[in-house]
Amino acid sequence: MGGFDEVYDQGAIRPHYRMLMDRLAAIGNDELAERFGLLDSFFRTLGITFAVSGHESGLERTWPMDLVPRIIPADEWQLIEAGLVQRVSVLNMFLDDLYLGGQEAINDGIIPRWLIESADGYMREAHGIPAPRGSRCVVAGIDIVRDDEGTYRVLEDNLRVPSGISYVLENRVAMTRVLPVGFASHAIRPVDHYGSMLHRALDAIAPPPVDDPTVVVLTPGVANSAYFEHSFLARQMGVELVEGRDLLVDDWHVYMRTTRGLKRVDVIYRRVEDEFLDPVVFRPDSLLGVPGLLGAARAGTVTIANAIGNGAADDKGVYTYVPDLIRFYLGEDPILPNVTTYLPWEPDQLTSILERIDRLVVKPVAESGGYGIVIGTQADDATLAATAAAIQANPRSYVAQEVVQLSTHPTFVDGHLAPRHIDLRPFVLSGDGIEVVPGGLTRVALPEGSLIVNSSQGGGSKDTWVLNEGTMDAVPTR
Amino acid sequence: MLSRHAEDLFWLGRYVERAEDTARMLDVTYHNLLESPTTPEATAWSELLEVLYLDKTYSGPLQGRAVSAYLVADRGNAGSIVSAVGRARDNARGLRDRISTELWEAINVFYLDLARTEFVIAVEKQAYEVFRTIKSRCQLISGVAAQTMPRDEGYRFMLLGWLLERAEMTCRLLAVRYARLAAREEKMGFHAWVSVLKSVSAYEAYLKTHDASLDPTDVLEFLLLDQEFPRSVLYCLQHVERLYDQLEGPDEHSSAERAIGRVRARAQYCDIEAIVNEGLDEFLEDLQKEIYEVSNEIEEQYFRAGTDLQLHSYRWA
Repeated sequence: MGGFDEVYDQGAIRPHYRMLMDRLAAIGNDELAERFGLLDSFFRTLGITFAVSGHESGLERTWPMDLVPRIIPADEWQLIEAGLVQRVSVLNMFLDDLYLGGQEAINDGIIPRWLIESADGYMREAHGIPAPRGSRCVVAGIDIVRDDEGTYRVLEDNLRVPSGISYVLENRVAMTRVLPVGFASHAIRPVDHYGSMLHRALDAIAPPPVDDPTVVVLTPGVANSAYFEHSFLARQMGVELVEGRDLLVDDWHVYMRTTRGLKRVDVIYRRVEDEFLDPVVFRPDSLLGVPGLLGAARAGTVTIANAIGNGAADDKGVYTYVPDLIRFYLGEDPILPNVTTYLPWEPDQLTSILERIDRLVVKPVAESGGYGIVIGTQADDATLAATAAAIQANPRSYVAQEVVQLSTHPTFVDGHLAPRHIDLRPFVLSGDGIEVVPGGLTRVALPEGSLIVNSSQGGGSKDTWVLNEGTMDAVPTR
Repeated sequence: MLSRHAEDLFWLGRYVERAEDTARMLDVTYHNLLESPTTPEATAWSELLEVLYLDKTYSGPLQGRAVSAYLVADRGNAGSIVSAVGRARDNARGLRDRISTELWEAINVFYLDLARTEFVIAVEKQAYEVFRTIKSRCQLISGVAAQTMPRDEGYRFMLLGWLLERAEMTCRLLAVRYARLAAREEKMGFHAWVSVLKSVSAYEAYLKTHDASLDPTDVLEFLLLDQEFPRSVLYCLQHVERLYDQLEGPDEHSSAERAIGRVRARAQYCDIEAIVNEGLDEFLEDLQKEIYEVSNEIEEQYFRAGTDLQLHSYRWA
């Protein structure tokens, strides 16, 4: 394959992995297998499962976490962190400019108006809704991959309701139990303060002049596949987990129904998609939202996080323009490059997409979770023909990208370690400033050779260690 | 706390108690038939269904197996034990952050057991064993709740639901056994009194306070008014009153508080002799109505915040 391996550099173990790999070799495959079994029962006991989409029966799997952690050295992390802060601040600026400002990027011809306004996640209704501190992407999940050269590239921005952070925290807890290592003491940056990080960010975007804001987490309910995470986050922050029916809007203010009467709500961290938030404005048949919620948000009495309409910026077509937006808003070069992407609505690019379709990845712009992706090198002729026809019929709905041969990482499969492809979803918080949670969710494609890491498509995950500055190695102990 | 959580806890308590008391009533009816064969079987079962307000919805034969299957395992019957436990489980699932893991497990496992087909078969073969199992599983749940839940607002709402349901069901239980018999001017024998006391686990407690005399009026008084026996109606209502006081509502004298005081006083100061002579049936019915009223008032006060508002800003989003 000749791709980039995280651990092995032409057969030699990279310095920051030496101690870990030594330790794993000392433990041996038999005992690793035993500990691997412990992992499954750890997650099952805690009830940490997720629903697999496409199965109407509501099939649930336990969270598949791999035994071998992914390690990111301090200097690499500094680069990633700086790149993420740069990217998310520009995405915030672009969205605030789009919905509240003068739309400078559009007016200056950096990005076409029609492209923005035809994005699925663009919400005409979001115009004029204020976002305190301009923090519209309060929680962003930016998917990063490494190419053949080991260069970190942004694959996708998730700015609506990105999920997965609870697994980051639970993976770390599970790791400390199953493979006790000396990482908690000094070498590895902790992640368990996420709840207070998030709470701080949400407090910071409360509508002025509130100084002790009431924050709630809004969930679609127990039937939602990410309900575990919603309740986990509410617990970590010590705030109420509410459903739409627990809230009401009166006189442009949001209240929750409590046993002590109505209580004002200032910040709503919502895990409900835009279209379900307010039946008055969006889908009238939705029971998940709160009638009048957008009116209150527009009146500035409540902050909804993430902001409504963020989908205008994480559309896969708009993604292509993010490097230009970084140059436009900051006058800087992007620290983290994109993956080379072709846009079928540009006639010359369409021609070359169709010519090279067997060597490109085609993605529907509006899908997430790995659905609808066609990898040209792995697809049969019939699929390629159907994809080509679909692109021509509906160019705005697709983009094509060069195949990125995601980096590989030793992973415990069928009783021994074998290389599997991985990506990384770090979580970026925008409140009073921008913070990045050290590490993030490393997802791993468990079938050999597979490039699709999504958990809904048979992906697993890894605990992700970011080393402290000055630390060359993490030291696992028994 | 959120009204929805409080309401779900309140009904969680009610459903578990309802399941237990339905099993108790089935148990009494079975024994009634065994010990006083003078009562026609069909009459006994139709009376039970009537007391549970299910006489209009049940259309099967009026005999033990069919009625038991209907009351224990029929999911189509919203008043069946499996339905009650299923709803308790639905509530518990949404309350996972508010209740202990042990409580969730106790409810979840009970439901999963009830839903097994072997259980449905057992209802036909060993009804008595099944009723006993249901009772003890419900007791396990209330015991786990008592041992693992912090005494916060949520616990109080759960207990309020539990106690109100129990007070109401003890009234109904008495109605099944007593009032109907009295209406037919039948006399209950010694064994019948023993079984009614046993059905609410009160036989031993009764004997300790009343020697061995089984006077009908004394038994009635014990089950309605005993201050120490935890299933007596008065005991439940006094406990409800204390719990309500601890909730520290916004109103000094709310209508819920008045309703609680009224029904507690009616029970506490009633004249048993007069009631027995003038009509126990009616008295029990009134008592049930007032307990129901208390429940309504509590729901109104705590679970309905904002429902009376004329909401503005709907159209202007």
